[in-house]
Amino acid sequence: MENIFEIKNLNLFYGDKQALKNINLNIAHNAVTAFIGPSGCGKSTLLRCLNRMNDLIPDCKVEGHIEIDGEDIVNDKINVVDLRTKVGMVFQKPNPFPMSIYENVVYGLRCQNISDKKVLDEVCENSLRKAALWEEVKDRLKDNAYGLSGGQQQRLCIARAIAMEPEVILMDEPTSALDPIATAKIEELIQDLKKNYTIVIVTHSMQQAARISDDTAFFLLGEVIEKSPTKELFHIPKDKRTEDYITGRFG
Amino acid sequence: MKKRNTQDNLLKALVYAASSLSLLVLVALLSFMLQKGWGSLSLDLFTRPYWSEPISIEYPSIYPGEFESPTDLPEGAVFSEAYGFALIDSTNPKKEAVLELVYLDPNSPLNHGTNIQAGHEGEAATVVVGYWVDKIGYMNTKGVVRSSGRIVGQNAQKTIQALDQSVSLENAYVQTKGGGIVGSLLATLYLIFVSLLLALPIGISTAIYLNEYAKRNMLTSWIRSSIELLTGVPSIVFGLMGVLVLFPITALFSAQGTSILLGGLTLSVILLPIIIRTTEESLKVVPQSFRDASLSLGANQSQTLFKIVIPSAIPGILTATLLGIGRIIGESAALIYTMGTFVSDDPKLLKGATSLAVQIWSIMSGDQPNFALASAISLVILLIVLILNFSVKLLAKRFRKVW
Repeated sequence: MENIFEIKNLNLFYGDKQALKNINLNIAHNAVTAFIGPSGCGKSTLLRCLNRMNDLIPDCKVEGHIEIDGEDIVNDKINVVDLRTKVGMVFQKPNPFPMSIYENVVYGLRCQNISDKKVLDEVCENSLRKAALWEEVKDRLKDNAYGLSGGQQQRLCIARAIAMEPEVILMDEPTSALDPIATAKIEELIQDLKKNYTIVIVTHSMQQAARISDDTAFFLLGEVIEKSPTKELFHIPKDKRTEDYITGRFG
Repeated sequence: MKKRNTQDNLLKALVYAASSLSLLVLVALLSFMLQKGWGSLSLDLFTRPYWSEPISIEYPSIYPGEFESPTDLPEGAVFSEAYGFALIDSTNPKKEAVLELVYLDPNSPLNHGTNIQAGHEGEAATVVVGYWVDKIGYMNTKGVVRSSGRIVGQNAQKTIQALDQSVSLENAYVQTKGGGIVGSLLATLYLIFVSLLLALPIGISTAIYLNEYAKRNMLTSWIRSSIELLTGVPSIVFGLMGVLVLFPITALFSAQGTSILLGGLTLSVILLPIIIRTTEESLKVVPQSFRDASLSLGANQSQTLFKIVIPSAIPGILTATLLGIGRIIGESAALIYTMGTFVSDDPKLLKGATSLAVQIWSIMSGDQPNFALASAISLVILLIVLILNFSVKLLAKRFRKVW
């Protein structure tokens, strides 16, 4: 399978503290890749590097290379805004903007100075459909997004990301704030989305990684210990530490 | 055990006593101002100039007519059947005896004269209820022009008596009713406009820089502590700074000496720290997740700022504005140097004038302090500040968002 991301010798420092150590990792096109590992192991940090959201953290220094479709994104020359329209993101807690459902979905387009109502309407409907939310909200697009339930809000955030037609959607523990039913819906949605998009998901739930991902990378203390097809990693882990973690024996 | 109970009760008693004392002080203050100022408080106060203007009127020998006394004259008023107006004995703010015009028949000849006051020569003279009548000249039965009124020591009764026996009305000397606050009210509005026009954009931009763009380093922490320091500087020091530093700026606009512009410039410096801090507080509570979400959707920093951050911070910015207006209305020390203390009825941007608070200072600092008017103005200021405070609360409630 073709790779969309190629990460080579990536080191990341928060001040003096090294958060990522010599990461070498490839992420496949149109597949779901899961990052698992204990808290503070650097999986969210790496995820944020993929669309340069780590720029927002003061004293964050990155060395090495991340290539997307062969283009290096770890340098000051690239256009971060373009990168982020190509690599969308969904966050841990649903974070719709305090505006209407419609305005939330078309926000990214408006930032691109697209104001043709026909285009916006169309994108809004398509994105909400792809996020499996259209049927629930089609009659109240003008209502405030905060009237939606937590699960609906998270799907709205996914719709908002999809509206930009990205190649990749990064998800940082997207279901950790949701109940099991809402979680199931999001997982179903992810399965659906991978036909068109590459999805990288950070998760704390190994069951979730096992259920929905094609590849899984196991992180420990800022290093990638093992990255294999999900079935392989969970059934015949190559590394002792992976085995310890997935069987729950880990410290 | 008993001792502990006594201690407990003693402490309670102290706390209750202290809080009731402070409440008492507040009530006393308010009732004093109400008692002193209520009498001077009327809608008229807001539209009347402060200075009473003399008007000298000449009449073309008007012969007496026959007028009917209205039924609702106030007690003590004396009606002139010959010329159709009524006078009452009253006192001006300086406690001097005056004759106040309390009724004027629509056909009264008092309004048919010509103004001969320097600067207004030839204009039709208008006399309005509330004016003080100093002198009325009339021709007596011997054909001699005589004067009646306060100027010759007559009270209302005597004045009207003399007039009703006269042959014709010849001249008059009246004073418009002063003691109003229209000039200070206008000057205060000017002041609010000028200082907010300067302080809001600069203050909000600084707050945005500090909260959204500035890196946490020596320079920004130094800027922050300077702003903190500015909040604590006494306003009279700002007034002095206004005279020394800002006056040359207003001189560029050919302002001579004190002016509203200079006062506004000085006040905008005083307002800056208030606006910066309040705005920064409101920017701080905008969740970081909004900024993250916006940036992750390919918005750049200024789009994030204008579409997400500032709209979310609007209630805080409004609060800052209202706090600023409250400060402008209450400020006096800094304005004494920069705007002067001479009450102006026709304030101009480049001329001196008084704000409401400074007018209090101005009318209380003379030989004859006018407690009644000062208390009335205090009540007006209190009322405005009260309304502002309620609006702040209302706004904060209205705009509170769910996130």
